[in-house]
Amino acid sequence: MQNNGFLRTKEIIAITLILIGIKLSDSTPTLLAQKAQNGFWSIPILSFVCIFPGFLIMLYLLNKYQDKNVVELFEAINGKWIGKILGIVLFLCAFLSLTLDSRNYIEQIKLLYFPQSPTDMIYFIFIAVVFFGAKKGIEVIGYTCWIAIPFIKVSALCVLLLVMSEIVIQRIFPIFGAGLPIILSEGVKKASIFAELFFLLIAYQSAKKNTMFRKGITFGTVLAILEIILFYLVYASVFDYNSIEKIAFPYHDITQFISFGEFFTNIETIFMVFWLFAAFLKFIIFIYITTWIFAEIFAIRNFEPLLLPFSFLVIMIGLLPMNSATNELVLRETLLTVMSPIFILLPYILWLTAWGKGDLKQ
Amino acid sequence: MARFLKAGESQNQKNLNCHTSLQQNIQKMKQLFSYGLNKDFSMRTLKLRFNQKEACLFYYGSIVDGAIINLNIIKPLLENNGDSVGNIVSIENIEEVTDFETANENINSGKAILFVDGDKTAFAMDVADFQHRAVSKSENESTIKGPQDAFTESMNTNISLIRKQLHNSQLINEGIQIGERSKNEVNLIYIKDLVNNDILENVRSRLKEISTDSVRNIEVLEQYLEERPYSLVPTILYTEKPDKATSYLEDGFIVLLMDSSSACLVVPVTFWSFFHNPEDRYLRFFYANFTRALRLLCFYLTLMISASFVAIANFHSEMIPPDLLLAITASRERVPFPLIFEVLIMEIAFELIREAGLRIPNPLGPTIGIVGALILGQAAVEANIISPIIVIVVALSGLSSFALADLNINFTVRLMRFLFIIAAGVYGMLALTGAFLLFFMYTASIKSFGIPFFSPMSPHFISSEDTVFRKPIKKEIFRPSFLRPKDLQKKAKS
Repeated sequence: MQNNGFLRTKEIIAITLILIGIKLSDSTPTLLAQKAQNGFWSIPILSFVCIFPGFLIMLYLLNKYQDKNVVELFEAINGKWIGKILGIVLFLCAFLSLTLDSRNYIEQIKLLYFPQSPTDMIYFIFIAVVFFGAKKGIEVIGYTCWIAIPFIKVSALCVLLLVMSEIVIQRIFPIFGAGLPIILSEGVKKASIFAELFFLLIAYQSAKKNTMFRKGITFGTVLAILEIILFYLVYASVFDYNSIEKIAFPYHDITQFISFGEFFTNIETIFMVFWLFAAFLKFIIFIYITTWIFAEIFAIRNFEPLLLPFSFLVIMIGLLPMNSATNELVLRETLLTVMSPIFILLPYILWLTAWGKGDLKQ
Repeated sequence: MARFLKAGESQNQKNLNCHTSLQQNIQKMKQLFSYGLNKDFSMRTLKLRFNQKEACLFYYGSIVDGAIINLNIIKPLLENNGDSVGNIVSIENIEEVTDFETANENINSGKAILFVDGDKTAFAMDVADFQHRAVSKSENESTIKGPQDAFTESMNTNISLIRKQLHNSQLINEGIQIGERSKNEVNLIYIKDLVNNDILENVRSRLKEISTDSVRNIEVLEQYLEERPYSLVPTILYTEKPDKATSYLEDGFIVLLMDSSSACLVVPVTFWSFFHNPEDRYLRFFYANFTRALRLLCFYLTLMISASFVAIANFHSEMIPPDLLLAITASRERVPFPLIFEVLIMEIAFELIREAGLRIPNPLGPTIGIVGALILGQAAVEANIISPIIVIVVALSGLSSFALADLNINFTVRLMRFLFIIAAGVYGMLALTGAFLLFFMYTASIKSFGIPFFSPMSPHFISSEDTVFRKPIKKEIFRPSFLRPKDLQKKAKS
């Protein structure tokens, strides 16, 4: 494992921002808009409110049980076997989101930029890059994220600035979209759009100091949620009430909307480059931490050789859904709905158990 | 096995101590240096005046200063009185030698050895005068503002060039012998109260680990010292400018010098060392950062412009404004090759011009311009082998590569460029972004003597923040802390 604990707050923020923040530009908004229509931008707030306290409890527990990562924490609190089962649940969630998400990204790339290429070819190239990137280890991933993040964010900011003229702020009304009950229930059901945070906890010791990790991930999450809400608001006010649920990839659709002056009218490829950068990095992080969780459960110290079989599995399983609609609207939605209660309740259960055992007293 | 035994024997012979009898010593020396066969090996017997004993002086005539030997050794010994040899000869540096191995080394490094009858110790006196060229202007790293001196092939001159700029008694020049057959000396130069001992020890042990017959000069040493010989990314800085070397020394880096090389090596280095130019520090704040910005642009252009053009024109042509797209298409109408092939032809042609231009004898110099501009540019377009826009793109990428002055990084980007072009040709921006990301991550994973390649930017370290852009020089307070120097703060600010 190429990890000497060299990551600092900056790199952790960058990793979190890329892993979570990219949700503003994939098809998650579409998924949310299916039911909540133009009120969908408030769903992340609700999800965040549902999941963030639990997440803070996890950080608190990790701090209490010094020098442990999340899987070891499960085992320390619940004993070896239940801990391992919890670890496996976490791994399955991570792995399934990884595969379904990756298929989702492949479809975006394919539909928008390479409509004539076969999905498997793009999938293969994409995961090959991700695999070789992940091979470099968490530190290099962290460094790369930190250097890449200004470029990614500046490009996103450019999109915002250029789309300003298209925004009609009144389009966010009716403010609750399809209705308050739907928004509320969707907000809880889709709380797991922040599930990556829990997966990221596996890297708890990769930071130089534990406080750096806690600071980084908390700050990164707050930044990411602000960004997500801002962008969702923009989507809601650029596309109207009726069309919002028919838009497949709002970010890319917006980039096709905008132009730079009269001469450069189709500049989406520029933004696609930075988006691709972020996407590659997201999956590099994702596949790395998923493999790491797996390795921790089965106590495999040197887990980087496992990346290859896992990359292969991601391609194989990711190719199973027939088309992007099934993948996105059936499988991914189901997965998110299933995962939500797990991640909302898990921290409290852990906390109660730890409290019951009296571990928190020291 | 026999070979090893033999080697062992000759090793023993060399380690023999000097004899008391002068005749035996002379015989041994004659045998060791093949006297008679070896024309420039000189031997001179004389009778010392102060103790009336026979003595014999050995040296290589070709690498010593004859006048000094006559005036400062032979003449005093023949004429003056005193208690010992050391008192009589007027030579700066006298060393006592007791075995033939050391005597051998000393003679090879330009010293004269004096054996005295009845004495077991001989005297090695430094009279070296290796031929070298005078200090001249730096030719490969030219600057407009700033000192123009360049290192020469003489070690003493080089050290004096460094000491001229750095008046510090803590500046240490440490010699380490490497090589089995030809023992050459590598000089480690560092400032003792700044340099980090772990890094210094790492460099020392890496130097001592080199086991080979001979390391002739710094350029060969660079390759022996390198951690990743198959990597495209350099991890040792090579420079021929003493002022650049000195500025690194001041920050706590280590400089390696060798005789017979008109350059030095700086270790450990980061990516930014290759990106910077000494002139950046001599120019005023805005001017310097302007050239840095230009260089950054050149970095991008060299590495990416051909690849981006291939990707956009082949896969994302909707990005090009319609008028321009029509113009490009019209100009390509009669070209039979696919675009990527065209670009590769032109890139290779440019590399050819460049390499040929470097090797061509001076009087033929202008030919290369005619060949390059007229035949490859004009005629190739008229013959419909390539389209005019490719000439523009390739010329731009080629020209930009010259702005990256460091030879090593220059090669890195020039070679990577081809990989990127091929990646772009295969799958447009998807593959190009992926290739770039992998290259970037690979570079980020490299360490030079334990220092991450992109520090101090990422991982972050305290430094003078002289990375992509630099601050006004008065605000540079810290030395780069990734080197863990003994004194982090420059005394600029109280």
